[in-house]
Formats: sequence, structure tokens, C-alpha cells
Amino acid sequence: MKLPMLPTTVIGSYSMPEWLERAKNDYLSRRLSRRDLDEMHDAVRKAAIKDQESAGIDIVTDGELQRDNMIDYFTERLPGVQVDLGSKRFYYDFYDTEVRSKLATGSIGLTEEVKFLKRYTDHPTKVSVSGPHTLVKRIRNSFYPTEAEFALDLGRALNFELKEMARAGVTELQIDEPYYSGFPEDLPWAVKAINAAVDGVNVHVTLHICYGNRYGKPSFEGSYKYLFPTILDAKVHALSLEFARRGEEDIQLFKEYKAPFTLGLGVIDVKTQDVESPALVADRIRRALEVVPAERLVVNPDCGCVHLPREVAFAKLAAMVEGAKIVRGELGK
Amino acid sequence: MIVHINHISQSKSKAGKKSQLGELASLVTGSLVDLVEGGQLDPRIAPSLRIHLDWIQYKTNFRDPVIVRRTTDAKGKALSLAEVAIDLRQCQPTELPQQLERAIKSVSPNATGNDGRVYLDDYKPYRECMIWDFNRLFWRHLGEWEAASGRGFEAALPTGQSDANRPDAVHDSVVEFWQLLKELESKNQLPAEIPILEIGVGAGTRAAAWIDGFKAYDEANGTSYYDRIQFILGDYSPDTLARACASLGRHKEHITPAPLDALNPFKALSTYRFKILYVHLTNVYDNLPFDDLVRRDGRLYLVEVRAYMSAAAADQLEADFGVSRGDIGSVMSRLIEGGPHAVFAGDKGVAFWRAFWDYFRLEERLRALDDREESHVPPGLSWSHLEDLLAESPEDVRFHISRGAAESFANTLPLLHPRGYLQVQDIFVEEMDEYRKGFKGPGKLDGSLVTWVNGALLRAVGARAGYDVHFRPFTYRPGSKTTVMYTTQKP
Repeated sequence: MKLPMLPTTVIGSYSMPEWLERAKNDYLSRRLSRRDLDEMHDAVRKAAIKDQESAGIDIVTDGELQRDNMIDYFTERLPGVQVDLGSKRFYYDFYDTEVRSKLATGSIGLTEEVKFLKRYTDHPTKVSVSGPHTLVKRIRNSFYPTEAEFALDLGRALNFELKEMARAGVTELQIDEPYYSGFPEDLPWAVKAINAAVDGVNVHVTLHICYGNRYGKPSFEGSYKYLFPTILDAKVHALSLEFARRGEEDIQLFKEYKAPFTLGLGVIDVKTQDVESPALVADRIRRALEVVPAERLVVNPDCGCVHLPREVAFAKLAAMVEGAKIVRGELGK
Repeated sequence: MIVHINHISQSKSKAGKKSQLGELASLVTGSLVDLVEGGQLDPRIAPSLRIHLDWIQYKTNFRDPVIVRRTTDAKGKALSLAEVAIDLRQCQPTELPQQLERAIKSVSPNATGNDGRVYLDDYKPYRECMIWDFNRLFWRHLGEWEAASGRGFEAALPTGQSDANRPDAVHDSVVEFWQLLKELESKNQLPAEIPILEIGVGAGTRAAAWIDGFKAYDEANGTSYYDRIQFILGDYSPDTLARACASLGRHKEHITPAPLDALNPFKALSTYRFKILYVHLTNVYDNLPFDDLVRRDGRLYLVEVRAYMSAAAADQLEADFGVSRGDIGSVMSRLIEGGPHAVFAGDKGVAFWRAFWDYFRLEERLRALDDREESHVPPGLSWSHLEDLLAESPEDVRFHISRGAAESFANTLPLLHPRGYLQVQDIFVEEMDEYRKGFKGPGKLDGSLVTWVNGALLRAVGARAGYDVHFRPFTYRPGSKTTVMYTTQKP
């Protein structure tokens, strides 16, 4: 499927049903088997794909509803990370994790997500992974001399998996780094870790940097000014940033620093249940077009839809698609 | 028959000597045995009868010394479980055996009569009970009540003063906040405008003390944060806000009055979403609607209440004010809707109101809840919050669902800046198990209501919204029952 001008996509996660939250908690309390939970996960992932298709999204994900949160799904799989499986009762909390020795390089099993997507959709596909900096901030480090060295090794470990997913046929990969905004001083080494992760990965890679969406609220505040100029060294194709909630002022940074990236433009505020109108979305896109050419603009929400009720998430995505269509029409595409 | 002693505290009696409460408890059990021996307790009821010995936290409350609670299924059909509850604090030893005998007789399925009570309403959950109409009436006509009682509201508090305005507590709050601002500044993350919110400002006394203290501390430390602060005064009453603003004239560039509903501050302040760095409330949550739930034998019951006045009280009201039994309902409606002067002119209207509130009582019954009945879950919350609470709750317990407090809390959190915090001074039950150690109200506080706030519920609500909820003792006044609840962002 050929992508249109101003393609639409999601950041990754789709609406988490309350019943699935309960099931995940039941699994942790040993009241539900892994097999039953996996069946539920498969069903909601299919439904998430279908919802995105129905809303008109061009590049779809599997909704990431099999993931408890953006950390545990990876720490459970990363060889060399010790996970205390008894350390949480509520699925969305984080496990206590620790690294005590050098990380090994090996599969962490994410190609299953690519295969699942290809089995259930003809649309272009995307899989997101949490980035090295974010993981470093959540795993207790008892081995590496510095966070920078730990992140670099995490980058290398993720690199293996990203290449595997590219080989499996995913259209696009995304690396999520919400913790940059809380630790701007880390950016120089965090970008090196990203470059280690994407080295030789032959698909379109987006780096998603927001201000956090844990429990549907921001974890940090500030301005994207801290990203520049360091972020220009990141060897990624696109930056996906949060603008709908925070305002578009920082888009000017793309102009000021002549950023060569495609911009993933956040046009949907995922921290409110108020549904944007297509006209508002179109307006946001038009303002971005004053800075970034249409060929380098992707339309997406500010962050994942995991905390939104399903009907709200769907309505927001549908409005986003309609808004993009309005502007496409104006551009004659 | 099971006897529950719902009061655990240090006895003040001398060693080897029975306390007054101990004497009363002996009298209860002795009288019960007499009733059983005398065949006055229906054998169909006896096996599932529960006797509760309470010591109600508030001396003035809505109960007679001895009351009966029957149970019904979800549709109102009578069930066999019944309870007799005795407020040891109110009981007089000379009257207790007769009161108990009357109660035991009234538990029987064949019991008739109601001692001539004048009922003012149907059975309803606490949250829908007319006590809230009286609570609103009190805050609407506070000045008149205070004039009639001869003392201000704060003087009517159990300690005669509000913990909100303790200078040392306010100073610590100022320093804590200033340190947060300093840290944000060091990370280049200090917002251009620094919004602060107090909900329930009263006369503005605390706000004034806080801003004065902040300005002085800011100047002493050579920072200029005061120039950036915007102190939002939140209250539902425009008159109160006007009074508070007037008392803060010296800071007028830095205050914003915000008429708001304490149950949903976000509605009035949505433009401050994720921006407010500090929210403070004192003694607001304890005056918001609640429900009571009871867990017995693995089953959950909702406490429903019916307002009434005893025959003696109705007679007294007629003697003092000329209001006959038949007219009590309509006069009460006029009082609630139009205030005391809609009933009687001048001081007599307020005197009638005060007498009525004094005589006002509530009968209770326990209605079994259908599985996952959602109606008692506060708006904005879900059954899963309640499940979280029940998971840590004892099997046999009566507890508050502080629905007003939970709703207010849930609708305030979205205002907080990622580094912001909410601080509440109030009376909290911190763990569900504490509900087994004492009966926590509701009580009458002068003309208004007061009840302990279920902190464990707020902890569950906070956890789902991304906040850890902590409690620390209010150490600024020895013997204070106030607790400081505060939030921190979950990792």
C-alpha cells in the first residue's frame, strides 16, 4: 500500500479496556493462566488493528495491549536483566529490575509483533520499542560504571532486535524516549545510544520524544529547546513530538536549526477525553506546514492512546484522519 | 449472637477497677442474657443477631443511644441478619436495660409500631439523605447561626480553633514550596507563572498567612518567586470569596478568586490543567457527601438511612414553636429551601432551625448489594477502585465510601503540574483495618456535618491516577487528630 501525502499513524498503544486491566491483575495474582491472558491479548490486538483501519489510519500498530507498560515488556525479555516477578500487584506498576552483569545480545522476541501485524493487516505497519535512555532510567544498574555505558550496551542489544524486525518486514520502527525531557543533561550520551540502536537498520526509524504519558498525565514540563542542536546527530529519519497539548511554538525549532528530519506532528491531545474536530486538526497541520514541507510531515497523536476510553480513542483517530484529508485536499493531493 | 466491641482505646480507669465503659458493656451483656432467659428474644432472630458496642467519635450525632438495624435484599425484602447498635458514649446505665429490651422486641419480625416517630423522609443512602440539605443551609446562613450560638464556627470546633492557621504549619508549608521552586529553577524548569490553589478558603486567613510568609521568605532568600505566583482562591460561595479577597488586598496582583464546586475543581479551572504546583485544602473533605458500606459474612451491604424525629421531640417542637406533627414536613421544606426566616421572623427562625437540627435523627437499615452494583461508586471512579479497597479490607467491617472526597480528589489531580503536589489537612482513616477499631461518625458539628475521610480509598484513587498518597501526623498541636495527606508522583 502506497502512503499518501501527510500519512497518518498512531504512536503505538491503543485504548486499554478496563476488563483487560483486571485480567492482567488476575494473572499477577495467579487467578488467570498465561494461556488465557494471551488469548485475550490476541483478541484485543486484532480489534485494535481493525479499529485503526476503520478510523482510516495509514500506518498501523497492534495497539501494544499485550504490554503491561513501556518498561516491563522489555526488561522481562532483555537477556541479563534480573526481574523480581513478585514485586508488583498492579499490572501497570513497574517490576523491580536490576542489571548485574554485561548484557548479552540476543533476540527479545519482538518479531512476533511484526508477524502478527502482517497476518492481520495489509496496511503498512509499525512497531515501537522503548529506547535505551528510558530503560536505563528504570533498571537499577549494578554493573556498568556509568549510565552512558549502560545505555550504549542497551542500544546494541536493541539493535539486534530492530534488525530482526526489519528483516521480518515491518514498514517502520519507532524508538520511544519520553525520559529525555526529564533529564535533558543526558542528551549527548542518549543520542549515542540511539545511534547504536539504529546502526544498520534498513527501515524508516522514528524517534518519539514526548513529555511522558504515564497514567495519562505528563511526567515532565518544559520546552523542546533542550533537544537542539544535539538531536541533529541522531541517525533517525523522523522525530515525533508532542504539540497538541503543549502548543506549536517549538515547531519553529525545526526551522531555526534546519532539522533534516521528517516531523511526526502531534495533533491529538491524548491526555484529555475532549475529541478534537477535524477542522482543528487541519489547522494544526497547516501551521506546521509553514515550517516543514508536506513531504516531511507525518500526522499522529501526541502519544499513545492507552489511557483513553475506546470510543474516545477511535473518535480522536477518525478526526485526525479527516483533518489530514482536509489539508491533503487543499494541497491537491 | 455476636457481640462487636467497636472501640479500642487506652482505658483511663485505674488498674483493677472497671471503667465506666466496662460497666456499661457488662450491663449490655447481662441484660441480653436476661432477655434470652426470659424468652423475649425471638429464637428465629437470635442466631444471626449482632450486637455492636460503639463509641461514636462525635458526641453529637444522629443516633439514639440504642438503635436497631435490619437487613434487606437488594429489592427491599427482609433478611434474617439484624443488628442492635449501642452508643456507649450516650448511654445512661439507668435507662439502658429498658432501651435494650425495646430494641430487642422491635427486631422481631412480628414487631409493630415505631414509638410514635415522625418520619421526615424515605430510606436513602447517606449521600442522598437530607442531612446534606441541612449542611448547605448551614453554610448559606452561617452568620445567623454564629450570631445565635454566640460563637464563631472555629470556636465551635472540638478544639476551639482550626489547624489550618497554625503559624508554624504555614511556615513549613512555605519553606517546602520555596524549596521546590528553587529546585525547578536550578533545572531551568521554573514556569513563568507559578499557580497555587487553595480550595475552601473561608475568610482567607490561611491564604493571607501563607502569602505573607512566602513573600517574606522569598525576600529573605533573595529570590523573586513572589512576583510569579498566582494564588487561586477556590470556594463555592461568591460571598466568601469576596470576603477573602478583601482581606488579601495587599496581594491583589497575585490573587485570583475562582468560584468552584469542591467536587469538581477541574471544571472551573481547566485552563490550569497540569500547571498548578501546589494545592491545599483544610477540613473540606470531611464535609463532603459519603456513603457507608458494611461487610458481613462475605456480603456487602449499603447503609440506608431514614430521617425522623422522636415523639418526645415532636411534642417539644409543638410546645416551643407551635408546629404540629402534621406540619413538620412542610415547615422543614420551607426551612431548607428558604432559610430560617422563611419559617419564622427574626431570631425565632434561627432558634427553630437549631432546635430542629438538635432533634434530627436517622434510622439505619442495611440493603444487600447486587454483585458489582455501580450506583454507590463515586462519579469518575470505577468498581475496580472499590475492589482495590476491599482487597485490603477486613472481612467484617463497616466503612465510609468518602465519595465526595474521592470525587474532589480525582477532579483536582489533573490540575497538578508534573512536579506539583496536593496537600490536605483533615481527619483521615489511613488503613481499612482502623474501621474495626472505632466508629468514625458521621457527627454533627454545630449546624454542619463532619465525618472521617477514608484515606485508604483516596490512596487507591491516587494510585490509579499516577500518585502515591502519604499521610503524616499534624505535629503542630499536641493531641491533634488532624492528619496531613500529600501526594507524590508515582515513578
